[in-house]
Amino acid sequence: MPDETRIETATVDPVTVEVIGNAIASIADEMGETLIRASYSTNIKERRDCSTVIFDATGRTLYQAEHIPIHLGSLMGVVSAILERHDVSEIAEGDLFIGNDAYTGGGTHLPDIVAASPIFYEGALVGWATNLAHHADFVDRGHAHIYQEGLRIPPIRLQRGGEMQQDVLDLVLLNCQVPKERQADLRAQIAANRFGVQRFQAMCERYGVPLLTRVFDELLDYAERRMRAGIATIPDGTYSFEDQFECDELEEILTFRVRIEVKGDEIELDFANNPPQVRAGLNMVETALLATVYYAVKTVTDPDAPPNAGLFRPIKATAEPGSILNAVSPAAVNGRTNTCQRVVDVVHGALAQAVPDRIIAACNGAVTSSTFSGVNPRTGNFYVYLETLGGGFGARATKDGLDGVQVHITNTSNLPVEGLESEYPLRVERYELERDSGGDGKWRGGLGFRRQIRSLHDECRVSMRGTRARSAPWGLFGGHDGGSYHVESDDGVAPFKLSAGLLMEGQSIAIVTPGSGGYGPPEERDPELVQRDLREDRISPDVARDVYGLAVED
Amino acid sequence: MTSLRIGVDSGGTFTDVCLLDETTGQFSVWKLSSTPQDPSEAIANGAREAVERFGGDDANVSFFGHGTTVATNALIQGRGARAGLITNDGFRDLLDLGRQTRPHLYDLQTDKPIPLIPRDRRLEVSERLLYDGTVEREPSEDEVRTMARKLRDMDVEAAAVCFLYSFVSPAHEVMVARILEEELDGAFVTASHQVCPEFREFERLSTTVVNAFLGPVMKGYLSRLTPRLKDAGITVQPHITQSNGGTITFETASTLPVRTVLSGPSTGVVGALETGRIVGVEDIITFDMGGTSTDVSLIQNARPETTTEAIVHGYPIKVPMIDIHTVGAGGGSIAYVDSGGFLKVGPRSAGAAPGPICYGLGNDEPTVTDANVVMQILNPKELLGGRMPIDRDPAFRAIEKLGEKLGLSALDTAAGIIRVVTANMARAIRLISVQRGHDPREYCLMPFGGGGPVHAGRLARELGMRRILVPRNPGILCAMGLLLTDLRHDLSVTRKLPVDATSVPAIRDAMRALRRDADTWFEKENVGSDRRRLVASADMRYAGQNYELNVPVPDLDDDAALLDGLTVNFNEAYSRLYDYTAPDEAIEIVTFRVEAYGLVEKPQFTENANAGADASAAAIDSREIYMPESSTFETAHIFDRDRLQTGNRIEGPAVIEQMDSTTFILPGQTATVDAYHNIVIEEGDA
Repeated sequence: MPDETRIETATVDPVTVEVIGNAIASIADEMGETLIRASYSTNIKERRDCSTVIFDATGRTLYQAEHIPIHLGSLMGVVSAILERHDVSEIAEGDLFIGNDAYTGGGTHLPDIVAASPIFYEGALVGWATNLAHHADFVDRGHAHIYQEGLRIPPIRLQRGGEMQQDVLDLVLLNCQVPKERQADLRAQIAANRFGVQRFQAMCERYGVPLLTRVFDELLDYAERRMRAGIATIPDGTYSFEDQFECDELEEILTFRVRIEVKGDEIELDFANNPPQVRAGLNMVETALLATVYYAVKTVTDPDAPPNAGLFRPIKATAEPGSILNAVSPAAVNGRTNTCQRVVDVVHGALAQAVPDRIIAACNGAVTSSTFSGVNPRTGNFYVYLETLGGGFGARATKDGLDGVQVHITNTSNLPVEGLESEYPLRVERYELERDSGGDGKWRGGLGFRRQIRSLHDECRVSMRGTRARSAPWGLFGGHDGGSYHVESDDGVAPFKLSAGLLMEGQSIAIVTPGSGGYGPPEERDPELVQRDLREDRISPDVARDVYGLAVED
Repeated sequence: MTSLRIGVDSGGTFTDVCLLDETTGQFSVWKLSSTPQDPSEAIANGAREAVERFGGDDANVSFFGHGTTVATNALIQGRGARAGLITNDGFRDLLDLGRQTRPHLYDLQTDKPIPLIPRDRRLEVSERLLYDGTVEREPSEDEVRTMARKLRDMDVEAAAVCFLYSFVSPAHEVMVARILEEELDGAFVTASHQVCPEFREFERLSTTVVNAFLGPVMKGYLSRLTPRLKDAGITVQPHITQSNGGTITFETASTLPVRTVLSGPSTGVVGALETGRIVGVEDIITFDMGGTSTDVSLIQNARPETTTEAIVHGYPIKVPMIDIHTVGAGGGSIAYVDSGGFLKVGPRSAGAAPGPICYGLGNDEPTVTDANVVMQILNPKELLGGRMPIDRDPAFRAIEKLGEKLGLSALDTAAGIIRVVTANMARAIRLISVQRGHDPREYCLMPFGGGGPVHAGRLARELGMRRILVPRNPGILCAMGLLLTDLRHDLSVTRKLPVDATSVPAIRDAMRALRRDADTWFEKENVGSDRRRLVASADMRYAGQNYELNVPVPDLDDDAALLDGLTVNFNEAYSRLYDYTAPDEAIEIVTFRVEAYGLVEKPQFTENANAGADASAAAIDSREIYMPESSTFETAHIFDRDRLQTGNRIEGPAVIEQMDSTTFILPGQTATVDAYHNIVIEEGDA
């Protein structure tokens, strides 16, 4: 026995750990490719609104593939939610669980359906292959509480021993507005997991489970060491920040606060005194807060640290249960991503005092989204088109920000115009950068953009969600704020109520996304860069003259 | 009269000229320093010198093939043309917006690639087609002319035009291109439907803009090279390689320079393909390891896997190309210990200058080559046939220092560097094999480049591959590939059709049109009817998906058999990749493709007689090599590749040295020299 103990605690050489770490990463990456290539809905096949994670048997994250940071929030809770609900002795090879509920399923909002497959090797549970796909469904719903937001799915089996549970599938599909797409996308999720399970089992065959188990520990320890090394480079101290949060679903303007304490190689984020949860789909559950905080800290400490559970260890984040940042049942959660973006803003705002060269001015601070739905006259079928739009990416200490990209907790692609128009009765009229929306400064903030969409049929139901309409992405160290979010509609479009409304055939709306903040005083900007921005029409002659003092001919 | 085929591979440091005497089958190699200011100088001089040296007075050059990095370098260094763009009203920012994603998920300091055409030179005109080709707004000739003149006033050297849905109906792009040519005297004009007639506007636009950016550069380069070649006595129509592994004429290359962006590595793959073909090996994974990077690709049934899209230096390019995956792992890759205490190798590289520590040219960070020298897998005294003196001691000390951070000895650290770099390369191979549904164990590993044969043994073991084929001249396989490359032109047309009886006439029409275009190309390239070959395929998917699988189109007259064949081919490919099919779902065709080949006459290689298993005549030395498996030095025989004879057998551990590479045979592996002087390494039964 003493010998065995010694073997169990002996460390594995770092090279073996790295080799196996690479193997796990490639399993998760390949699962993601399978999911995207086999799926049907534009939100997954083109916009890549999905993620994959490999867990160990107890639910510790071994690797999150590089897709959408916030998805970690829905994935990290799922295995423990399954294990809480199901006796582990009854979980068998070929089972596949699905779940989406924010309060019993480990999810963060209902459209994100997680598929989790236990991985068995020689009869023992050794890990989990999981993926998440954002199903563009559950549209035109209320958001007073979660019961209005769509079908709540606790972690239950969609497949048992490899057999489809048709009853479960039928129930799910009946509650969806575009069932054909849901079924095909679920099939792609199943294929992705099957692939992950086979690859993981091949890895067990090759290295043996005892060695792998020790390697998993080492991988987590490694990420932890890197994270600690990164945190240690931030000067010790307490840093606080507050920012405004508003959303078109909400009448009032809220204030978000954080107090961050950095001590040696640990960081603690205290989100006390934040507003109570709201009767709107803007609440974050705890896993969403954690995923957001892990993202925000990682950008400042070590962007290349492996995305596994080890990096969570030196980070502590707390918020009062019942607050908008740590909501309890039955708070509505559908549009939590806008809230998450503001959490990143306050964390970065606080740390700007500590590491001014590493923090960037505020990004667009939103996940500006819009949903178009109705009956497609070309097919007679109901369609749902969801898009989320990027905007400005904040200016940096030594360079300008980025124009028109997705920022922070999301990174979905756009849907090509040629894909959009062939699938939906909609037309894209303009897709262009918004001049002057980048905050002026020594370094200019990135620009937001305008996307104008025309409905080609009557009764096109549109709902929009955005933030930074009544506040602006802030500049840093003398840099100016960036442009705000707004919506422009054609004459004759009936006024939208709480950002939802109808378009008739031929009517259009345009969404203009927020820009981002500038960095440093505009007087210090290189005049050649001002000239270039003017020549390229990224700034107007007025701004060139009034803000930067450039002599401009009229 | 001697008839010579010439292949010239023009690299950053050296220009390799490879000659093949068609009458005797004799290969010769001539190496000279490149002339980076104007690469055509070294190319023409090299060709002339090589012909004089090896061809004799009456030599006639029957083929001239050329691989160039002119386009690649112009793209990487941002030294392309001053270009302008005409596009739809409301869409000039597509080039900035791209797919709206940021380049790095967590790193706030990463930048997007700079658009190759700045915003002020991107002009909009009122034009709009709908998804099915219906004209919504016709462009006005006056407006287009006004915009063209604006571009002229901006002194553009090149102009691109890209409209939405031009792949469905190109008429408007054709009109704009005509006006641009009229208004912009002598500028390079290119239209998206010619460059990339496929769905997804951003990728099509990006490819077209890259083409415009490179057009004048390639044109200028070829206009310098052409007269130089004539002066050097080469009168045959010269060819240039493209990224799909085929060659095109200079004329085509100057219209579609974007097709040559990955031409360099693709010739190596063709060299590997032909080397395999001669000995009857058709399933190959190629492994080309140089100083800074490693290129890998997969050949199945003597056909390289191809892809239609890649991102080159941040710019999406959608043209047919060999699916080559590159990782930053080469002999010069630098090893270090990161902040979490792990050993990492690359992608930072010491390159060729200053190169590894053991070269003594000023670098003090340990590299992969240093690890090989410390373990004495590579000759610890000299490399490159004595041209490069090696100093092992400073390499040993640097690796020892690195090992202190890991708690490992110098030798185990060196072995660790090799393991990490092997794992990086194995991951690259998994990506092009396992991830695409191919089992690497069913393939033969073909290493080339300076570093390939050194690492092939361990890499094959890591992947469970049992067979390695080391070509006779691993260092010049690219130049050799040039001599063996067929002419090739890829044609495609996007036609979304369901796989059912109603589509048969449209399927036949599309295929007929492509075949007709292929014939026109054959005529232009003077390809005789006996040397023409066509490969027809279609990109198919379940209706509703957006990613297609490329499957063969059977050449069948019977309608039902044609549809059945398409369905069976799709199901097979889909099931291999995803492990399921959905029989209740409709299948559709998206794009038809035809690859047109003008076959070049392949040289007849002669077999060498079997000289028996005894290799002792080629044994030149022995040295102690560090084996991490046993943590000891073991004695290995050293062989001279030039003296090895057909039939010779060598048991590992052993090292085979030659001027341009070193082959390492592990304990448990056996090397045999085949009839063409390739080395075949196989695992023993253990």
